[in-house]
Amino acid sequence: MNILRRLVKNRISLLGLILLLFFVVVAIAAPWLAPPPKGSDPYRIPRRGWTLEPTPPSAKYPLGLTQGQYDIYYGLVWGTRTAFRVGIIVIVFRALIGIILGSIAAYYGGLWDEILMRFTDIFMSFPYLIGVVVFVSIFGPGLNNVMIPLIALGWMPYARMIRGNILAVKQEEYVLAARAIGVSDFKIITRHILPNSIFPVLIQASMQIGSIVISVSALSFLGLGAPEGYADWGQMLSFARNWMLGDQGNVLKYWFTVVYPGLAMVLFVLSWNLIGDAFRDIMDPRIQA
Amino acid sequence: MLSYIVRRLLFLPVVLFGVTVLIFALVSTLGPWMRVATFVPSPDAERHVDLEAIIRKYNLDDPPLKMYLRWVNNLLRGNLGWSQSSHMTVTEAIGRRFPATLELTLFAVIPVILGGIFLGVISAVHHNKPIDHATRVMAITLWSMPDFVLGLAVLMVGFGVLGWFPPGRLSAWAELEILKTSFRSFTGMHTIDALLNLRFDILWDALRHIFAPVFTLACLWWAFMLRITRSSMLDVLNQDYVRTARAKGLDEKTVIRKHALGNALIPVTTVASSMLLGLLGGVVIVETVFNYPGLGLLTSTAATRLDVPCVVGVALFYAVILVVVNLVVDVMYSIIDPRVRLE
Repeated sequence: MNILRRLVKNRISLLGLILLLFFVVVAIAAPWLAPPPKGSDPYRIPRRGWTLEPTPPSAKYPLGLTQGQYDIYYGLVWGTRTAFRVGIIVIVFRALIGIILGSIAAYYGGLWDEILMRFTDIFMSFPYLIGVVVFVSIFGPGLNNVMIPLIALGWMPYARMIRGNILAVKQEEYVLAARAIGVSDFKIITRHILPNSIFPVLIQASMQIGSIVISVSALSFLGLGAPEGYADWGQMLSFARNWMLGDQGNVLKYWFTVVYPGLAMVLFVLSWNLIGDAFRDIMDPRIQA
Repeated sequence: MLSYIVRRLLFLPVVLFGVTVLIFALVSTLGPWMRVATFVPSPDAERHVDLEAIIRKYNLDDPPLKMYLRWVNNLLRGNLGWSQSSHMTVTEAIGRRFPATLELTLFAVIPVILGGIFLGVISAVHHNKPIDHATRVMAITLWSMPDFVLGLAVLMVGFGVLGWFPPGRLSAWAELEILKTSFRSFTGMHTIDALLNLRFDILWDALRHIFAPVFTLACLWWAFMLRITRSSMLDVLNQDYVRTARAKGLDEKTVIRKHALGNALIPVTTVASSMLLGLLGGVVIVETVFNYPGLGLLTSTAATRLDVPCVVGVALFYAVILVVVNLVVDVMYSIIDPRVRLE
């Protein structure tokens, strides 16, 4: 609670919190903000025509239509849900793997520690983005096939962090006491150790949601992400790729295809980074308030 | 110290073994037809032959262990298979493209480090003042930009509007000049080669092409450098020896430059290495946006054309670089900071 109060008091992180709240509201209210056509999958962006060239904003379609006449406003609203979903799923699984392996390594120590930490080193020697590209080029494009390698190549920092935290609390008296009266290892880890060491890791992990959304959209940009027409910001930006340089004599002719999806994505990532930055200041013992 | 280096060196093969097993496990899930390419040295060998014959010829129905050993054996002899997207062997493709990526990364590191440290120091010295907030918000905003959006924006302004910074690596005329026998290639990095050949027109052309991707990378990574420098500088500014320096009446400039900065930069060196690796791997998108023919563009082209051997080859290549650079940096860190003792 103290941390939350400090986040609200700091003007930079307050801005981040407000932005984040805005996106949460948009994601929840998507069915009312942009009602999907009856009987169709709400995550498919409706097409308002069949020509390739983007159509500028009009009264009917306030943010315009991007390449292939996909509705930009609709895509952005439902894309908010995609962004949260992808980010949260990846983070939850990363944290879960990291916490399990990290706590086993730290609690049992010795050989277990050595094996698991070397295992972590091996995964750390995988180049992140290229590792994801390897996976996707083998199993084919798609959102799920992007999320799996993002999880598999992203849990290592959390395992290391949780290991360090547990090593710090392992010799505390309440843990020794619990062990002395014969509490099982599983219970000691889940009831006594984790509640006292997990919090900073969870916060750090959730701050990564922004960067995950960037990674996913980068893969969509390379044509390895969501299928065409799926409500995903990255894909809407990759639509814009062919129209960035505009028309002869009018470079900015198709500005709306890149500005609106780009703005949505930058603000979303920014909100996480602003909070995360202030949070790291709060957690950094070397910086005095 | 020495035993630490030896232990790390001994661990190197273990890491590489793990990486190859992981990649092999992934590749094994492919059908035999797609796996053929990882074994075939050139495309002529696979033409006019039916699937069954190839599978029999290269023993692709062997048990996994046997196939893994054969694959590793090929790797050790530098045979990474045939890349159908670039029409040459993967080893050759990597060899040709790597200097370009290295050149781009080295050019990007300089502005990122210098600019990031500069901004970080300013931010720390004016802690919690408007200028601190302004630099940080600017850097975080740039950091929140997807690399391809920023890249496309730079391309749009630098090339589309101003026409100053064209995409690619060299103009067509310079490309021809470089192929002439009078132009000797030393490093494969065009700017350095041009300088060594005293061809300043080619140097100028190469610099014009490399500016936009370097600028994009620098903008993206400033926030990272700034954050570390700022936090480390704030720490140092609270130390007693800085207070002493101020107390004895030194002016603020001398305190910061002579007493604080040197010590504040120690943690920055470790981060610089992870940044270098991040830059090397992160150029995939920037190279694709600017059509800059390095390893990143090679990878993204290969991935979209399902050229598995090429993607796998690049991943292995990067894994080796990653492990070696990390080792070198850890050792260097202990030399720079005498307080660090490696065990």
